Amino acid sequence: MNVRLTVNGGDHRLDVEPRRLLVDVLRHDLGLHGTHVGCEQGVCGMCTVLFDGEPVKSCLMLAPQAEGHEITTVESLAPGDELHPLQEAFRQEHGLQCGYCTPGFLLTALAAERRGQRPEGEELRAELAGTLCRCTGYQMIVAAVERYFRERAGAPPP
Amino acid sequence: MKPAPFEYVVPRSPDEAVATLGRYEGDARILAGGQSLVPMLNMRLLRPAAIVDVNRIEGLGGVRAEGGEVRIGALARYADLEFSPVVAERLPLLAEAVAYVGDRQVRNRGTLGGSLAQADPSGEMPLVALALEASVSVLGPGGDRVVPAGELFLGPYQTSLEPDEMITEVAFPDVPGRVGALVEHVRRHGDFAVLAVAASGVPDGEGSWSSARVTLAGVGPHPFVGAELSETALQPDDVEAVGRACGAAADPASDVRASAEYRRHLVPIYVDRVLAELRRRRAA
Repeated sequence: MNVRLTVNGGDHRLDVEPRRLLVDVLRHDLGLHGTHVGCEQGVCGMCTVLFDGEPVKSCLMLAPQAEGHEITTVESLAPGDELHPLQEAFRQEHGLQCGYCTPGFLLTALAAERRGQRPEGEELRAELAGTLCRCTGYQMIVAAVERYFRERAGAPPP
Repeated sequence: MKPAPFEYVVPRSPDEAVATLGRYEGDARILAGGQSLVPMLNMRLLRPAAIVDVNRIEGLGGVRAEGGEVRIGALARYADLEFSPVVAERLPLLAEAVAYVGDRQVRNRGTLGGSLAQADPSGEMPLVALALEASVSVLGPGGDRVVPAGELFLGPYQTSLEPDEMITEVAFPDVPGRVGALVEHVRRHGDFAVLAVAASGVPDGEGSWSSARVTLAGVGPHPFVGAELSETALQPDDVEAVGRACGAAADPASDVRASAEYRRHLVPIYVDRVLAELRRRRAA
């Protein structure tokens, strides 16, 4: 079937089977490899993208479901050579080792901020709980997001 | 880990959705939030002939207070409930329960109607629907009918819905002065509950409760009301009796999360905790 998708502001027309998962469209058809595949059953959060600004797991969405909605992937954060301030905070706090899970954390944290929330501590941990990390033990991820939110304190939501 | 092929149908109205379900004679599945269905498709535990995507039906979501009830559309997402001022004010037990569901990503997609139709034996939404005596509006080929939550759940992942019926709305009675509490035993944040216990009741000014109700999930094939007390002071003897009644009504199964024996052991402990929490909230 024909599907029209809006990804990171760009329009794409694709001919896909309806069973095609959104994550596979992003990676295989559009070449956006920043969205990762982990469990393919909605547990790990590697495939997190923003759907109309809110994080969802793109392994649990069929491609045609995304038609007419705005999809945002991690590639949109730093289109050039300069890191997004949240990515810079992850660098400063060593918030990643292998980096496989990082897009999920970045997008979930940014969505919270866009919603007008800059949680910290336990609330932040609950907010980020939909993405798993097997390297860091989460301490530095939480520290990185808290650093970013601290730096942004007082600024209006993006 | 990819779905088997299916026909993809996008109805524009509940009637069209029900007609489609009828056409496939039980071999079609409704896709609402997809947070339980799509994993089962990916693992090919389900291979339906058709997927009926109800996400484009207008007016199937939303939360509104109306005529002594809070009416919630079947397609309302968990996040809609989480951030709804109406739910926070009138159904605080539902607001509390929603925080236990999945994670941010899951709550952005999963729906109230989908959760009730899924009928996970440890699910928070079926538990709270039963605890708060919700009525479920169901549309079928012959028209609407209303199913009380107590008659909806038949067993693990089994409901009294016909294959060509769909949930359209859930109505919760708005009971002024009602206090509720929920406790869970869960192995990890966001995991399915080993057991979840909800309590609710209407306190008077003198330490007595009317319409007190303890409802349990995870310790039977479906959520159930373990005890109902029209009038109680919830003194230690009362609490112990409720714990015994709930234990007698429990029929837990063993699974990867806990043995039946352990679940049974937890029942009186969590009944005690939820009732202590209920009393504490009244005092607060």
